[in-house]
Amino acid sequence: MTFSSVIITFTALSLLFISALVAVIDSKVTNKLDGVLWTVPAKVFSRSLEIAEGKKINQSNFRKELDLLSYRKRDEVKRPGEYLVKGSVFKIFLRGYENQKAGIFNVVIKNNLVTSIKSQDKQEIDLIKLEPLMIGGIFPSHMEDRILLDYSQVPQTLLETILSVEDQDFYNHWGVSLKSIFRALFVNLSSGEIEQGGSTITQQLAKSLFFSSEQTIKRKVMEAIAAILIELHYSKKEILLAYVNDVFLSQSGRRAIHGFGMGAQHFFGTNIQNLDVDQIALLVGMLKGPSLYNPRRNPVNALKRRNLVLNILFLNKKIDRQEFENQSNKELGIVPPSFKSETKYPAFHDLVRIELRKNYEEKSMRTQGLRVETNINPLFQTELERSAQETKSSLVQKYGKSMEDIELAAVAINISSGEIEAIVGSSNPGSFGFNRSINAIRPIGSLVKPFVYLSALKNYQKYTLSSLLDDSKLILEMGNNKTWEPKNFDKKYHGEVPLHEALSQSYNIASARLGLELGYDQVGDTFQRLGIEQKLSSFPSVFVGAFEMSPLQVTQAYHTIASDGFYTPLRSIRNIKDSQGNLEMLYPYKIEQRFRPEIIGLIRFAMERTFVSGTARKGFKLEQIKPLGLAGKSGTSDEQRDSWFVGLAGDHLVTIWLGFDDNRKTLLTGRTGAFELWKNFIQRIDPLPIDRPTFSRLNYVWTDRDDGKLSSSLCKNSLLIPYIRGTEPREMPTKRALCLSRKN
Amino acid sequence: MKFSQKVYIFFIVIINISCAAQQNYEIDLTEVDALYEFSSKLDKNLSNIEYLEREIIQINSKNPSIQRIVNQSDIFLVKNELDRSSSELERALRISINESAVYLRLAHIRFKQGLFIESKSFAERGLLQASLSNWEELLLKAYAEGIFIN
Repeated sequence: MTFSSVIITFTALSLLFISALVAVIDSKVTNKLDGVLWTVPAKVFSRSLEIAEGKKINQSNFRKELDLLSYRKRDEVKRPGEYLVKGSVFKIFLRGYENQKAGIFNVVIKNNLVTSIKSQDKQEIDLIKLEPLMIGGIFPSHMEDRILLDYSQVPQTLLETILSVEDQDFYNHWGVSLKSIFRALFVNLSSGEIEQGGSTITQQLAKSLFFSSEQTIKRKVMEAIAAILIELHYSKKEILLAYVNDVFLSQSGRRAIHGFGMGAQHFFGTNIQNLDVDQIALLVGMLKGPSLYNPRRNPVNALKRRNLVLNILFLNKKIDRQEFENQSNKELGIVPPSFKSETKYPAFHDLVRIELRKNYEEKSMRTQGLRVETNINPLFQTELERSAQETKSSLVQKYGKSMEDIELAAVAINISSGEIEAIVGSSNPGSFGFNRSINAIRPIGSLVKPFVYLSALKNYQKYTLSSLLDDSKLILEMGNNKTWEPKNFDKKYHGEVPLHEALSQSYNIASARLGLELGYDQVGDTFQRLGIEQKLSSFPSVFVGAFEMSPLQVTQAYHTIASDGFYTPLRSIRNIKDSQGNLEMLYPYKIEQRFRPEIIGLIRFAMERTFVSGTARKGFKLEQIKPLGLAGKSGTSDEQRDSWFVGLAGDHLVTIWLGFDDNRKTLLTGRTGAFELWKNFIQRIDPLPIDRPTFSRLNYVWTDRDDGKLSSSLCKNSLLIPYIRGTEPREMPTKRALCLSRKN
Repeated sequence: MKFSQKVYIFFIVIINISCAAQQNYEIDLTEVDALYEFSSKLDKNLSNIEYLEREIIQINSKNPSIQRIVNQSDIFLVKNELDRSSSELERALRISINESAVYLRLAHIRFKQGLFIESKSFAERGLLQASLSNWEELLLKAYAEGIFIN
């Protein structure tokens, strides 16, 4: 073989190899850029708070909500995300969210009522919307998090800043720019530090999409080929947009923050469109070294780099001297990260995922960029978590080491909408794992009693609140020479007791006898109407609480009572939008009337007595009971293995459970355990009074507490009790009539 | 007793009371006929879903902020986008839970969606609100008592 033929063969083979390489890279480029480029995880948000004239809102809670959303309290409001409070006026610079424009608004809240909302130019505004808190995401295994932007959503300032800093010749090169390489070399040599890189934006995109970060000649060549091919296939606009969405900006725990859309959200808690020049300069500055210039970890470096970027903008005449100086003097203005791993609130996240799985496949949740607006109230969630931790600490302090393993679960919902506002599934609420609010199925103890009594009161011709129930010794033959004998907590028998008293004092024997008298079918029907799916077993012990439910199921059943007999399936999600913000799915408010409201009025009266003379009597002042609509029931399971409390306060229903995972005895009752947590939480959220409906079919009559017969306000031992009209006691014992005449 | 009959008897009783109050008044049977005609017409109208929708849209909230949301909901309602209309009403309920104008619309929307139990339940809930006008009460009862199943 001659030398020339060797050369020809070598050249031919080289050309073949290069062509093959180009073909491979080309197919890689087109496959990736034409297909689904990025997986965008579903984003989970809290509910967004809407403020309107006439809305009742607790002023201090509103302030806490602003703090949670990382609004900064200032003496003067200048930038989005700042607010000041002067007397009853909140001046807030909203960051803007969906159709709510950013801007300054003055909100007047007097006596916990919004009385006026005005824009900065004194225009009356009906309604403003605070942005929700991003509370988590549903991530693919690589944990990349991004918000996909389309070209119209990318601010011009961002594009100009990227081009000024990263690639000034972007519109003139074919993917690779010798001019850029030489200019970068010159700029870096003359300044003595690396201010500019030589790679074009297209090369950077190619590197990020197809290659590892190793610095070899081979990789550089491949990167250049890929860049040229990208330029051949795609317009400058498409390349720029891909870059904006792809760049890596930061690592937050296991989560990788990609793209400027997510960057704006992660560092400034807002949409990219709301960012000022200095904020854009900070994000663009980070591209050179996401870790080195991370404003949370290295604020000094980040500030220096940001001002350098601002200087480049000034030198390129994108901003004038005045603006350059103003922007350079600003603080970094970053907000704390809303969450680091998958979510800030694991128990609530569980619930959302269970709900989502009914309508979406796992892959869609992880990749399609769904936006899930939930019903979580971030303030209530935070307070519930604090109450849980505080209660556990005080139990450990009071009862010693044995309480260190105590576990708990809590569910807080809004009564009028059936929306789940907060949920805790563990004594360490930030941890992932067994979610007791959903999965701990435990005996409910005396929480069952209102269900039994409701079954009786449905039959209001036969039973009223003052009907006398039998709380005397009961022994039942169960077959096989076995007997069942219920006992009261105080180990006593109380003879004949009025129904309301038997319920508020939680007498077991009276409840068992009543349940047996009514029968399993009648009580079972009530269970079903309340929304309990489990079937009632035919053992008398169910009437005193040998019935197992999860805290969430308990909340569902009690919600039917709290909402005057209207059953509503509880909801954790409000709506789901696609990545472009188009509505995909709504979770509508459903109601179904299961009981007449007057009947529920009767059972609520008995539950209100829990706060007057029952287990919750030491929690609140008597004058708070009516306006707040306080009503509740405590529960303690057999041998004190479970401590429960369910209570209504204002427009909130909260269920608490405490117990050990291995089911050992707790030393706690419903009052000493769960009620303490309930009380702690209610005091923290400070609920507002509500206007309860009045039922014209209910008539309040003074009744004797012991015999349930007619009495008077003038007589001792009397109580004003509601009756369905026509069922009031009519007979007054002669002795009592004498008491009346004596008074007169 | 049918709801329409109740309405008719109500008006007759009112007439009788006014007659009793004005002793010199001579009963003019043509007026009773007119009243009977009005009552039958009302009964017919309350059985007509289009008529009800027109009337419901006239029921406003006293709170201007809520009224703005209700107006938005009505736009969707007229376009027959019932889910969105309903979603707007839920927004209104988050601002104030005591709005008969909202419950009335929800009862109507659920009826149009064929969810009759929910429609009735929303109407029952609306009837629990304080300070309902007579007309609101009548409209709510139309859904609560289901008089227009035909």
